[in-house]
Order: sequence, then structure tokens, then C-alpha cells
Amino acid sequence: MSIMRINVGPIHPSTHGVLRLVVDVDGDTVKDVEPHIGFLHRGVEKLMENRMYMQSPSYTEKLDYVASFCWDDLYVSTVELAVGNEVKEAAQVARVVMLEFQRIASHLIWLGTQCNELGQMFTMFMWCMRERQEILKFMEDVSGTRMFYVNLRLGGFNKQLPSDFVDRAYKLTDYLESNFLKYPEVTESNPIFMERMKGAGILDRETAIEYGVSGPVLRGSGVEYDIRKKMPYYIYDKIKFDIPTGSKGDNFDRYRVRYREMLESIRIIRQALEMMPKNPDVMGLPIKLIGPSAKPDIVVNHRELPKGEGIIYMVPDKQKPYRISLRSPTFINLSVLPKIAQGAKFADLVVISGSLDLVMGEIDR
Amino acid sequence: MLKKLGELKAKGYSYLKKITAVDYPDRFEVIYILHNLQANDESIISVKLPHDKPSIESVIGIFKSADWYEREMYEMFGIEVTGRVVKRLLLEEWNSGEYPLRKDFEWGKEYKKAA
Repeated sequence: MSIMRINVGPIHPSTHGVLRLVVDVDGDTVKDVEPHIGFLHRGVEKLMENRMYMQSPSYTEKLDYVASFCWDDLYVSTVELAVGNEVKEAAQVARVVMLEFQRIASHLIWLGTQCNELGQMFTMFMWCMRERQEILKFMEDVSGTRMFYVNLRLGGFNKQLPSDFVDRAYKLTDYLESNFLKYPEVTESNPIFMERMKGAGILDRETAIEYGVSGPVLRGSGVEYDIRKKMPYYIYDKIKFDIPTGSKGDNFDRYRVRYREMLESIRIIRQALEMMPKNPDVMGLPIKLIGPSAKPDIVVNHRELPKGEGIIYMVPDKQKPYRISLRSPTFINLSVLPKIAQGAKFADLVVISGSLDLVMGEIDR
Repeated sequence: MLKKLGELKAKGYSYLKKITAVDYPDRFEVIYILHNLQANDESIISVKLPHDKPSIESVIGIFKSADWYEREMYEMFGIEVTGRVVKRLLLEEWNSGEYPLRKDFEWGKEYKKAA
């Protein structure tokens, strides 16, 4: 048969944003995929180089708009490193709690849309949105907004925590856990789910390292690499948790890694809440900031974001960063798609690209 | 440079996390962030390039993850990458000859479509 070229996107519901894929198919089999990106390019790095330090969190939040707190934390902690500002103990605990809730919310969005793309169930999507809604309500009570928080300040937060922070967080973890344990009934015992996830989009260990992927995609291929363990920050070195890994690196392993990570996050939150001091003081510095006085030449900061490893490489200057370079995990995770989609059925292409958990705001920057 | 990165890869630094560049007043610097997964050690290599017609060898033969980073670097800084075909990645319709992340790029300049 002859090769046919099909254009998918850039405006297409299953590409989760403005991703354009040019696909060569032979019959129903994918021969080659070429991702075209840049439709959402805003020049965030250039914008941040022209803003004062604490004006930039509103840009970093819109990179990964389903896990904005995580990027916010990555950026603010980079500035903290440059300035040499210590984070208060209670603020460290509160940040870890918020980070892990945000990680769960991000994985829930992924799980819901992934099941949607498999075309068999709206149940899972509604369940995931229901649980995510509870997390967003909690985050709203802490920060004042649902999705874009901008509540981090140097050394802490912009205001004190609500008085029932610990109680509500405990209750929320109980609620989430009891619901998460029901998920496998709808996913893993469903033959459609299993047949389309198992054995599709295989990414082996060597290829994963070669292509530089990170996060659940890398761990799904069996590499035990998590910044929270390997380069611990905040209180992660005092917390006991496991790094879930897969063995084959197919769609199902990536699902399994994310699902188990959600349960691990609950474990982390509970341990962190036990470390919360009585009458916590999390107040950070006011937003007015002149900039680092004894500035280091470069600052490199790592964080485990829900989608992979985020790095900021910053050359600080007095009032604004001289250069700020963002490593967004999904940018490089997407570059592996042509490799793993080869030989798959055309209908599975969407499932495979979905399993990489792509967010275009972060890829295009 | 290529030799040094090859040596590092042989030592176990086989996980390339990031390639980026910085436009200093007197030079360009290209930065490679490598990681050794066994030893859990990170290594940051920086290469200095002249401001006039900067060009650097491609490392795509050693690290496949370099592909998209080198394409991005070429578009944003105009650093030529030799030894490979560089297709535009993010700014497909951008006018060539204008590199947004260089410091001499005028802030707030109007977007020009390539002819």
C-alpha cells in the first residue's frame, strides 16, 4: 500500500492543546510521526528576563496550568537560592502538602482524559474531576484562587494558613484514598482498558535514558529516578515513601506508575502533616525585593514536577534575572513520541501521546 | 568538546537533561547538564563561543535528546549547529536573522513573518 499523510491538530480535542502531528500511515499502521510545536509560544523566558524577580510567578504558573503550584515553587525556590533566603520550617511542611495535593490533581486530570481517549468510559473522567474538585476547594481556601495561586513569597507564603488547615488536609486524604482504591475496578478490570494500554507505546529503558525523558515516563520504563529521593529538598529526606517503577515501559506501566504515585503522595502528605508545628508561622517576605546582594554566578535548581524533572538555570542580576532557562519535562518527553508511536495503529496514536501527559503551555513556553 | 562529552558518557554520564545558552556581553556560553544515574551525580559543562558567528558541533551522535534542544538553541540564539540538519522547531514562520533571546533583540519589537 502507499503511504498517506494525515494532519492531526493543531486544534483537536485529543491533542490536549495546540499540538500538531503530521502522521504518515500505511493502511492503519503509523509509519512516522512529526510533531510540530510552537503554536502557544509566548517567549516566557524573554518576558521573565524583563521583569522584577517577584513579578514572574504569574508567568511560571501558566506553564503547566494543571499543576501551577509546582512551577511556582520551582521558580520561587530558585530566587530563594539566589538571594540566600531560608524557608521557615512550617512553610516547608505546608509547601510539601500543597505540592503533593497538586501532584495528585495533575495525575487525576491525566487519568480522566486518558480514559476518555480510550473511548470506553466517561465514568472515570467524572470520578477524577470530582476528586480534583475537592483538592481545588482546599487549595482555594489556602490561597484564595482555584488554579493560579501566586501565593508564594520568599521564605513562605503571602498569608497565614487557615486555622483548620491540618484537620481539613487529613480529612481530604481519607476521602481521596477511599475513592482511589475503587479506581482499579473501573480501569484494570476493564478489558478495553487493558487491551489498549498493555503492550502499546513501548519505551525500553535504554531508549528512555538516551532520549532524556523524565518523570513517570522514565520511571515507567524501569529507571528509579525521582528528584525527591535523589536530590531531596524541603522535608522530603525525613519522609518515607517509595518510587513506583514499571518494567516494560508500555502505556499500562505509565498508568500504573502514576496511579501508585497518587497513593504515595497521600502517604507523604500524612507524614508531613505530623511534622507541622503548633501555631505555624508561614509568613514570607513582602513582595518588594531589590534582588540578590552578593549574587552567585549561576543558580541551578531541580524539582520533581508531576510530569517530570523541572530545572531552572538562572544567571542572576541585581533587579532582574540576566538569563533564565527553563527545562520543561514534557518538551523532551514529547520528542520521544515519533520513536514509540512507530508501528502502532492510528487509533492508538492518541492514546500513546496521551500517556506522555503533554501540556502545551509548558512545551512551547 | 565533543571528545570531552564522549568521555563523560563513557564514565556513566549518559543522561543529558538540558542544553541551553547564555548571551553574555562578550561571549556566548552553551551549557550541557549531564547526569550519572548510577552515581547520582550531576555535571554541568559550559562551552564559550565568540560573539561573532557562533557555531558549535552537534552532539546528536552521542546524545539523542540533544535534537530538540539544538534546534531550539539555533532559533533563539542563532548559534549554528554543525554536523546535522537543523530544522526550525518552535518559530517556524519567524524571520531568520532575528534571534529573540539575544540581548540585542529589541524588546517589544513587532513580529515579522518570513517571506
